[in-house]
Amino acid sequence: MSSSWQTSLRDLRTLYWRELRSALRERTIVINSVLLPLLLYPVLLWLIFTAMSFVRGQEERFVSRIAFLDLPAAHQELRERLANDEDERFEILEFSTLEEAVAAVRSGDVDLVAHATKPPPEAAALDGNFALELVYDESKDRSETAHRRFERELVDYRRDWVDREASARGIDGAQWDLFAIERENVASGKDMGAFMLGLMVPLLMVIMIAVGCFYPAIDATAGERERSTWETLMTVSASRSAVVGAKYLYVATLGATAGLLNLGAMAVSMGTILQPLMSGREDGLSFQVPMEALPLMAISALLLALFIAAGMMLFAAFARNFKEGQSMISPFYLLCILPPLLVNSPDVELTLGWALVPIANVALVFRSAIGGVYPWDLIGVVFVVELATILALLWVVRWVLSFEDVQTGNYGGDLTKFLKDFFRKKEA
Amino acid sequence: MSHSEPNDLPVRVEGLSKVFYDEGRGEVRAVDGIDLACRRGEIFGLLGANGAGKTTTLRMLSTIISPTEGEAWVEGHSVSDEPEAVRRSLGFYSATTALYPRMTARETLDFFARINRYPVDSVHARVDQLIERFGIAAFKDARVDKLSSGMKQRVSIARTLAHDPPILIFDEPTVGLDVLNALALVDNIRRLRDEGKTILFSTHIMSEAEKLCDRIAIIHGGRILTCDTLDGLREATGEHYLEQIFVHYVKDAEAAVREALEARDEQELADMEGK
Repeated sequence: MSSSWQTSLRDLRTLYWRELRSALRERTIVINSVLLPLLLYPVLLWLIFTAMSFVRGQEERFVSRIAFLDLPAAHQELRERLANDEDERFEILEFSTLEEAVAAVRSGDVDLVAHATKPPPEAAALDGNFALELVYDESKDRSETAHRRFERELVDYRRDWVDREASARGIDGAQWDLFAIERENVASGKDMGAFMLGLMVPLLMVIMIAVGCFYPAIDATAGERERSTWETLMTVSASRSAVVGAKYLYVATLGATAGLLNLGAMAVSMGTILQPLMSGREDGLSFQVPMEALPLMAISALLLALFIAAGMMLFAAFARNFKEGQSMISPFYLLCILPPLLVNSPDVELTLGWALVPIANVALVFRSAIGGVYPWDLIGVVFVVELATILALLWVVRWVLSFEDVQTGNYGGDLTKFLKDFFRKKEA
Repeated sequence: MSHSEPNDLPVRVEGLSKVFYDEGRGEVRAVDGIDLACRRGEIFGLLGANGAGKTTTLRMLSTIISPTEGEAWVEGHSVSDEPEAVRRSLGFYSATTALYPRMTARETLDFFARINRYPVDSVHARVDQLIERFGIAAFKDARVDKLSSGMKQRVSIARTLAHDPPILIFDEPTVGLDVLNALALVDNIRRLRDEGKTILFSTHIMSEAEKLCDRIAIIHGGRILTCDTLDGLREATGEHYLEQIFVHYVKDAEAAVREALEARDEQELADMEGK
C-alpha cells in the first residue's frame, strides 16, 4: 500500500472517530440511532400489556345487570345459573313489562333484557322450547360486555339442555350431530408467524435505518455549517474526499447501528409482543425471527444503511442549517418508506424485476430470510444492484461537493434547483 | 508548480482573482488580480473596509476556495495544485472557524494535531505543551460548549497552532471579542511572530494594524492599493495616522475608479452615436 493511501486512510480514521465521538454526545442522535431501535419493542411490549390489562380490568369490574321477561318455568335454571355465577358477574333485575325494561336499557339502568317469546312453529314441537329476544345497547361498553357474557352462558346452557333432552329420548349426541368439521392448516404456527413477520419486519427495518441516518446526516452537513465548524474543517490537511468519506461512514454507521439494534431487539422481543395479541387462536403462532436468518438480515441491513446514508448525504449537502436539512432530507426519507410499502403484500415475491429496485429488493430479502427461503442467485443480484446504486450515489455526492459554492455552503437551493441550474447553464 | 518561488518568501501571490456569481448582481469580482509577498517571520497586515476582499484573499490562500485566476504559493506549494500541502503549512484562524462544541479542549487539540499530520508519536507531548502555554489546564477536559468565550478563544488559537505550522493566518481575529480578550489575542500574535512564525493578519481596525503589523497592504475593491511599512506609508503620503493614510489611498482609488467609469460611459455614448 502506498504511503499516500496510508495517509488517506489514517485521515479517514481520525475524521471518522471525531464524527462518531461528537455524535455519541448528542442526545437527539443517541435517542434516534441507538435508544429508539433498542427500546422500541420492549416499550411497545410494556404499553400493549398495560393497555390490555387495563381494558381487561375495566371489563372484569363490570357487573352485568340482566332482566328476564317471560322466561318459561322449565328454563328457570338459566336465571339460576347467572344469579349464582361464581365470579358474581351478573345481577338479575326484575321488571313487570317489556317496555319498562327496554326503557331501562336505553337509560343505562339495565345492561341487557332477555325476553322469552314463543318459538317458531317448526320448533314448537319440543316441550318447553322458546325463542329469546335480546335487547341491549351496543353503544355502551357495559351493555356490550353484558351481551357477550350472556351469549357465552346461553350457548353453554343450550348445549346442556339439548344433550339432556336428547338423552331423555334415548338419542346419543353423535346421532344428531350430523356432520363434524375438522380443520387442518398445513402451515405450522412457525410458518404463519414467519409470514406475518415477513410483512412487518422489512418495513420496520427500513424505517429504523432511515431514522438512524436522519439526524447524523443533518449533523454532519448542515450542523457543521450552523455551528461554524465547516470552515474549520475545510482548513485541515486531509483531502476533501477523506472529509466527505468520514462523514458518509459516520452516517452509515449510525444507520447500520439502528438497523442491527432493531433487528436484535425484534429477534428477542417480537415473539413475546405479538403472542398475547393472538391468544385467542389455537394454531400456536410463533413470531420468533429465525436465528438462521439473522446473518443475511444483518448484511442486508448494512447495505440498506450504506444506501440510505448516501442518499441522505446527497440531499443534506445543500443544507446550511438544521431546518433546511430537515426539509431537504424529509422527501428522501418518505421515498425510502415507499418501496417496502409497495412490496408489503403476500403476493409480491423476490423476482429478478424486484431485485433491480433499490430498497424494495432488500425488503424482499428480509422477507425471504424470515420465511426460511434463500434464492441465492436473486440475493446475489440484489447485493450487486445495491452496491452499484451506492457507488453511483457516492459519485453524485462527490460531484455535487466538487462545486465550490455547495462545498462552502453558499449555494442557496436544494438538489433539484442545483440540477436545474446545472443543466440550464450547460444548455446555454 | 511547487518550489518555483524563492524559499525565503513563505507566501507569494501573483495576479490572484476571485469571481463569484451572485443571483442578484451577476458576476462579482471580489478579488481583482492582487500580488503580494510575505517575508519570513513578519506580521503582514491586510487592511481594508468590510467587503474589500481581505477574507476572500485569505480563504484562497488557505485553499478553502480556489482562485478564478492567478496563483499563490505557500511554503513553495501551489494553492491550486497542492492544497493539502498548503493546508499542512498553515494555521487558519477567523471568527467563522469555530470549535466542535461536543469535544473537550484536549480532544480538540489532539484531533487537529493528528489531522494536520503532526508526528503521531509526539502528539501527546504537543498537546500538553499547548495546554500549558495557553493556560488551558484548568478546563482541558471540559466540553467546549461549556467554556466561556475567553477560554474558547485560547483553545481556538491553540487549535490553530496544533500542528506547529510555519505560517499563520488570522482573519479579523478580534471581531466579537471584548477589549481584554482582544488585547490578549493581539499579544499572543506578537509573541508568535517573535518565535519566528510568519503571520498574515487581516483587519479593518486601524489601531490593531498600527500596533501589530510589520508591513501593511491596503486593500480596496479587491485590489491592493499599496504595501509598505507604516513608516514607508507615512513617508509616501505625508500623513501620520494610519486612518488618514488609509483614507488617502482609498480616496485616490475611488477617484480613479470614477474617472475610469466616466471615461467608459463617454466611450460607449460616442460608440452609440457613431452607429
